[in-house]
Amino acid sequence: MSFEKIRDPRRVRHWKGDMECDYIYTAGIAGEKFFTTIRDKAKLLATRCAKCKITYLPPRIYCERCQASLDNWIEVPKTGTIETFTTVHMDNNGAPLSKPITLAFIRIDETDGGLIHEIGGTKPEALKIGMRVEAVFQSKSKRTGALTDIKYFKPV
Amino acid sequence: MTVAIVGVGYTDVRSTTPDVSFKESMFEAAVKAYEDAGVNPRKDIGSFITAAEDYYEGYSIFDEFVPDQLGAVLRPVCTVGGDGLLGLITGAMQIETGVFDVVAVEAHSKASDILTLENIMTFAFDPVYNRAFDAHPFFVAGLEMRRFMHETKTSREQCAEVVVKNRRNAIDNPAAVYPAKITVDDVLNSEVIAEPLTRSDVSQMADGTYVIVLASEKKAKKLSDKPIWMKGLGWCSDTPWLESREWGSTVYTHLAKERAYKMAGITNPRKQIDFAEVDDWFSYKELQHIAALGLCEKRKAGKLLQKGSFNRDGQTPVNVSGGRFGVGNLLEASALQSVLECVLQLRSEAGKRQIKDATTAVAQSWRGVPTGTGCVAVLSNEL
Ligand SMILES: [Zn+2]
Repeated sequence: MSFEKIRDPRRVRHWKGDMECDYIYTAGIAGEKFFTTIRDKAKLLATRCAKCKITYLPPRIYCERCQASLDNWIEVPKTGTIETFTTVHMDNNGAPLSKPITLAFIRIDETDGGLIHEIGGTKPEALKIGMRVEAVFQSKSKRTGALTDIKYFKPV
Repeated sequence: MTVAIVGVGYTDVRSTTPDVSFKESMFEAAVKAYEDAGVNPRKDIGSFITAAEDYYEGYSIFDEFVPDQLGAVLRPVCTVGGDGLLGLITGAMQIETGVFDVVAVEAHSKASDILTLENIMTFAFDPVYNRAFDAHPFFVAGLEMRRFMHETKTSREQCAEVVVKNRRNAIDNPAAVYPAKITVDDVLNSEVIAEPLTRSDVSQMADGTYVIVLASEKKAKKLSDKPIWMKGLGWCSDTPWLESREWGSTVYTHLAKERAYKMAGITNPRKQIDFAEVDDWFSYKELQHIAALGLCEKRKAGKLLQKGSFNRDGQTPVNVSGGRFGVGNLLEASALQSVLECVLQLRSEAGKRQIKDATTAVAQSWRGVPTGTGCVAVLSNEL
């Protein structure tokens, strides 16, 4: 009989396992149109349900309130209002960020939606709810058709 | 017909459980619940339900891993991809069909086995619009908290008081992992995750398992001398699009409550509800949920909490168990921890923390960021 103590309980009690989960996600009809328009024209598109008087940004091809199909595409401004914001000090693994990132929900003008995005061109201390901001796009050669084609929103 | 809770079984809540598998914890809770209800799972229970989320469990198709330890092999079994309260509501509906007269519902947390919880939470975000940033997934909580404080003029200190209250309440709960006497300053001075949210504004994970046995009205009267009646039930999902939500309030709780209160005949919650167990994943969330449940005037939750209205001896005690902050955050199972506290209180079995003469309670749940889904149940020891 051994009296040797097991100092690392994982050696007998646990098996480590990974879930390797790689996916591709389909942007869909609405997402594709939204992102190709950002990439090619640096413009924001929305869809509108006239019946519910709701303008969807991000755009959708259906109305979540009346279930109607939507094909009424409209161009909306690249400006909006900060509805709320936060400066985040940890990365998505829970480790400290060397450079904290400031994110906001920006209610885009003429829509009932908006975008969650980074705020740049100002200090976080200067931010206030209600502040007016506009999208700053990457230069055309750098745009790939993704949310990151908008570099950040900056105060106007 | 009103469905009743006739048995509860649960393990100790612990910060880690390296000695037992989740199956063994479920077995322990199930045996205790069946004993409490006086039922034989192989003969008396018609259907078994678990509430679980595959990614928290580390298994694909987790449903397949639950029958043996519950006494449910070769029997009707299903898993609900939601919190424990949704499991309980599903069980009540199965009984309402008349097909089953006894149903067992289970939920558990083995959070200590999850090595990458942040990654799982980030994976719950919309991949196209919300996963682009290298930011902790609690950024959504930071955004919600600031907007809530702005709209309701709630102070940072008032949010911190939730943590102080719930961890203090847990001192009288032998099942709690994180009882403590802490101060508002302790909360405010802890590490910032997503301003204004600090590490102490976030409940800490724990492991624990709950099994609850439900019975039809007729069967409950035979099985139990202290049945707890499920008088009102509601559940609701907000839009999954963060961009289309209201950031400062919890419409899902408001609508779930409307349904549950209507069913239970609650017209004046502040008078008719004796105590509440609400979701407190984050400090500000408890205040949002208290307001959405109609337990105070709109925008007043923070001020009233600071005054002591939701203390154990206050107007409407909230989270006397200690909630997620005091007992521990049990992921989808915290909802059943809330139900358990209601049952113990309504049976007058809550020991040192017993609320006197309570007849009606409300339990409310939320599934954490980035979800907009929650349930409400009105429970009573009077039919
Ligand atoms: Zn519509």
